[in-house]
Amino acid sequence: MDLKSRPNNPSLGNVITFRSKDFVKWADGVLEGVLRRSPVGSGVDYLTKDFFNWATRNSIYPLHFGIMCCALEMAVASAPRFDAQRFGVIYRSTPRQCDVLLVNGPVSKKLKPALRRLYDQMPGPKWVIAMGECAISGGPFYNSYSVVPGVDQFIPVDIYIPGCPARPEALIDGFIKLQKMIKESKKGLLTGK
Amino acid sequence: MGERGTRFLREGMERPASRIDDVPEEKVIRSLIDSFPSTVTDFKKLGKGVVRARIARRDLYRCCKFLKDQLGFEHLSMISAVEYDKRFEIVYHISCYGSCLLLELITSTPKDDPSVDSVTSIWGGANWQERESYDLMGIKFNNHPKLERILLPKDTLYHPLRKDFKGGG
Amino acid sequence: MWINMGPQHPMTHGLWNLRIKVDGETIVDAEPEVGYLHRGIEKLCENRTYTQIIPIADRLCYGSSLTWSHLYCMTIEDLMGLEVPPRAEYIRVVSIEMQRIASHLMWLAAYAVDLGAMIGFIYTMRDREVFIDLLQALTGSRLTYNFPRIGGVAHDIPPNFERDSLRACDYMEKKLKEYEDLFDGSKVFMMRNQGVGVLRKEDAMNLGVTGPPLRASGVKYDLRKDMPYSVYPEMDFEPATHPDCDCYARYRVRMDEMYESCKIIRQAVQKMPKGKWRTVAPRNAPAGTGLGRVEDPRGEGMMYVVGDGTDRPYRLKIRSPIFVTVSAAKKMLVGYKVADVVAIMGGLDMCIGEADR
Repeated sequence: MDLKSRPNNPSLGNVITFRSKDFVKWADGVLEGVLRRSPVGSGVDYLTKDFFNWATRNSIYPLHFGIMCCALEMAVASAPRFDAQRFGVIYRSTPRQCDVLLVNGPVSKKLKPALRRLYDQMPGPKWVIAMGECAISGGPFYNSYSVVPGVDQFIPVDIYIPGCPARPEALIDGFIKLQKMIKESKKGLLTGK
Repeated sequence: MGERGTRFLREGMERPASRIDDVPEEKVIRSLIDSFPSTVTDFKKLGKGVVRARIARRDLYRCCKFLKDQLGFEHLSMISAVEYDKRFEIVYHISCYGSCLLLELITSTPKDDPSVDSVTSIWGGANWQERESYDLMGIKFNNHPKLERILLPKDTLYHPLRKDFKGGG
Repeated sequence: MWINMGPQHPMTHGLWNLRIKVDGETIVDAEPEVGYLHRGIEKLCENRTYTQIIPIADRLCYGSSLTWSHLYCMTIEDLMGLEVPPRAEYIRVVSIEMQRIASHLMWLAAYAVDLGAMIGFIYTMRDREVFIDLLQALTGSRLTYNFPRIGGVAHDIPPNFERDSLRACDYMEKKLKEYEDLFDGSKVFMMRNQGVGVLRKEDAMNLGVTGPPLRASGVKYDLRKDMPYSVYPEMDFEPATHPDCDCYARYRVRMDEMYESCKIIRQAVQKMPKGKWRTVAPRNAPAGTGLGRVEDPRGEGMMYVVGDGTDRPYRLKIRSPIFVTVSAAKKMLVGYKVADVVAIMGGLDMCIGEADR
């Protein structure tokens, strides 16, 4: 069959080769049908759920993002005296590799779109910790014309750590509470249950 | 009242020439009076090494150039803008490293035309300070290289430090 | 091509954006952008009483918060014409110099970790805890202290404070020698710092740069010596300067300042007189103006207050050293490589809280 007499149907595309788009559609179909909705999926989840949950909650990677005074206490929390690294907390520089967004200062109106963008760039599962009074409710600047009163006005927050500034021990306590929260909401990675 | 160690220096006061040059504050005051006789007024010594003077805004640029070139005031510390009932006052704090002096130079503008000449070409450190006064108080600086908002987002419409802005405090 | 470094960037300590125009790896133009941390403090202060502003002044520059609250109290005392008792002045000087050492150690920690020497972060943060513990014993808080009051300080020094501060100074001087061995003996550190980010003397004076970057360009001007305030005329110390105008000079100036601060703490602790530590200030300030200047670890801090007879300031203007020093970034960055940005901007010790107010 020469090329000129191919059927003129654009939705069929190129019928000679197996395109990558078709491969992705096939892979999705296999995952949906075979793994996610079937006993195979829930079986795999049942076997690995506890293990993956343990790994997730012991390797919380926050983002290198310091706003104000509580950022200094965040830095001190990874210093030798308080040492957050023994809980698996390692700071990463890019939001694509992080689990936790640690908001530690007042959010001004100029920063709001940038912070929302950082939150959107993080892949799931992700959590947000609001550290210090300024992130919880605006802090001492609550009625300023340029401060958003609380970061939970535009980002869903999971853990609130009070204090002005929050002590490093309070931050580590917040991480442990986050670990408890992750343990309680244990979900399988494949089926999501 | 409120200022320690004030001493008023009135124009035309007779002092022996050698004593003027010994005391650096009075040397500065004397040279300002000599060079800008009609526009520089109201001298006050606010303490050791601190002098205040008022100047009309039309001579501000020339006076600042004179201060930097002739009298050696190399460092502009601060530009503040204060709003009163019927005028804006722009306060320049200029210091001299060599003789450890601080000059507080105050100029005022009418309420409906808050603009002064920019001193960025004399002291480069005035660049951002003038932008901040424009951003927060709305004072326009003529001949500024880039008079844009610096602290607030660029599309803000108000000047928050003005007294008629009710919000934020 | 313009590149944005920030506002979220591991190098830019604090929240600001550095836009650099690069041609390959060389920087051709630079434009810092601040304002992400603007909280409107000057407007807030017009609606708070004079005592309520002291904790807000702490949060201006959180790296050295005692300096700013003391500067605020000095400005209001100038407006009201108050005399501070001598014991309070000595306590203030001791706390400010300890804060200066803690601030420089924090700078050194961040600087070292940016240049790749994580060991610098570990050691300096451990030693900073010594001074933070002393300040916690003195004031009750680790970071934003709320310690000075208009007319003195909040309370007297705790028991054994003199003994502990002298011990801390001896410990610090030993550790500073270790840091000098660690950093000066490291070829990589020296190569990344020497000859990089040169800011000549005339440019530094013209652009309004103050503090350690100015003294590292050879200008011997320290407000504590040249226009002294508080009890600094009775202290015997030398402002640290360095003739090379590069990043190594700024590092060297800060290390020397830590030695001088230890000297000042020793003298102040030994000369402290007995007596009251606070005079009660009136609630309302008279109409007039007040001016305060202080040598902050980052430069020259100033405050200008206009009072109108009530218990709230009519206008409070804050001069931040970092706001002006950052505007000189273009002069320091053009001609160097992208990898030098870390050393140059890190050497300025930026604390954006005071720049943005």
